[in-house]
Amino acid sequence: MNYTYDFASIPGLILKILHAFPLTMGILLCALAISLTLGAAVAAGTMGRNRFLQSLCKGYISFMRGIPTLVLIFLLYLGMPQALKQLGIDIGSWNKAVFIIATLSLNASANMAEMMRASYLAVDKGQREAAYSVGMKPFTAFRRIIFPQALGIAIPTLGNNIILLFKETSLGFTIGVIDILGRARAISAASFGANKLEVYIASGIIYWIICIVLEQASRLAERAYTKGRKKAAG
Amino acid sequence: MDFGFIMEAFPQIAAAIPVTLLMVFVSAGIGWVLGLAAALVRKNRTPVLSQILAVFVSFMRSVPSVIVLYIAYYVMPAVIYAYGQNIGWAIDINAVPPIAYAIFALTLSQAAYSSEVFRAAIAAVDEGQTEAAYSVGMTRAQALFRIVFPQAFATAMPNLGGLFVGLIKETSLAYYVGVYEITAVANLLSIPKLNFIEAYIMTTVVYEILSFLFNKCFRAGESRLKRFRANAAG
Repeated sequence: MNYTYDFASIPGLILKILHAFPLTMGILLCALAISLTLGAAVAAGTMGRNRFLQSLCKGYISFMRGIPTLVLIFLLYLGMPQALKQLGIDIGSWNKAVFIIATLSLNASANMAEMMRASYLAVDKGQREAAYSVGMKPFTAFRRIIFPQALGIAIPTLGNNIILLFKETSLGFTIGVIDILGRARAISAASFGANKLEVYIASGIIYWIICIVLEQASRLAERAYTKGRKKAAG
Repeated sequence: MDFGFIMEAFPQIAAAIPVTLLMVFVSAGIGWVLGLAAALVRKNRTPVLSQILAVFVSFMRSVPSVIVLYIAYYVMPAVIYAYGQNIGWAIDINAVPPIAYAIFALTLSQAAYSSEVFRAAIAAVDEGQTEAAYSVGMTRAQALFRIVFPQAFATAMPNLGGLFVGLIKETSLAYYVGVYEITAVANLLSIPKLNFIEAYIMTTVVYEILSFLFNKCFRAGESRLKRFRANAAG
């Protein structure tokens, strides 16, 4: 058995793999937008007065937290087209990226909903009461008083959730999406697997760097935002 | 729905649960001990070692688990082989089961994630507690084990529970390095007759049950440890 590694080829591989960066970012942004919207709806459901809706939304959150992303991908990509075909709807020809976006949106929406719920509840109750007492309507109070404060509380968690989501986009390769990891695997396949290890290390470095950037961005955003808040309060 | 397939496949999928649990328990067991050690090293700011650990933790937390699994899968055989040559043994690499690589990768990732949990939990214990322990004549080890750890574990428990359930879900990725765990078995069984819906619904149910049970266990552990929490004592 012979193991030879060519670690000098890694920088070149990184540049090659980076061609898939826009697709990964596209998937990330789409999934982020959908999961935030869906998460907001679910969070509102868990805090609403409707008992049935409440338990439905809580059930949804714990379901999504219990299912591995991989299984959800298979369920949506392999199972759902089959089920819909029996109903006469053909979605087998859809772009694979749609399935990965759908999976990640569903999966992340549970985290987003929990995040929104926790930050909403963390805002002092007196704030809303004070807003009502000066004659604000519930929606105005939410938009002008509660939401800006909740956002400040949510930013660090939001940053974490975005990083988690970004890492999960790597699972696109399991259904053949040519994102960063998919492209890395394609490059390795083109050389008949000779540079498998180098390719995985290269893609690992890409994920690492992007995560560090995201982490710093989240930290900056938090600092910038809370700074403005304090000034406004003072 | 093909109920014949469900009846036939379910026992085989259930038979793979121990494989998943083996990976989970071994990786969490070893990984968390390593994580605690890493947290202590970083807390004491041991030169060089703590910097290396900081880089390691940042890498493991930023790189998707699939990539970590693949890197372990391609690096470990070479390392084991070279080690065997060094000590004069001809180790047969092919005899090493893939689950060993999966456990190795998951252990390292658990060590990284849990070290952050422990670090935060230890930092949350009031410095005065340690000082008080010293003032009554305890040694450093005594102060750590009798005073700091019980309080830190109480704080760490919810996060450890989340980590554990996350680990259960992550083991599904071991499928890609050739471990026959729940997802892999379900996938293989579903392919001959394309029973994707049935197979993945069963897989989902199995994972949901596992997540639910372990969530319950950690909740119970949390309430038992509550007596060590500073605010609960008051």
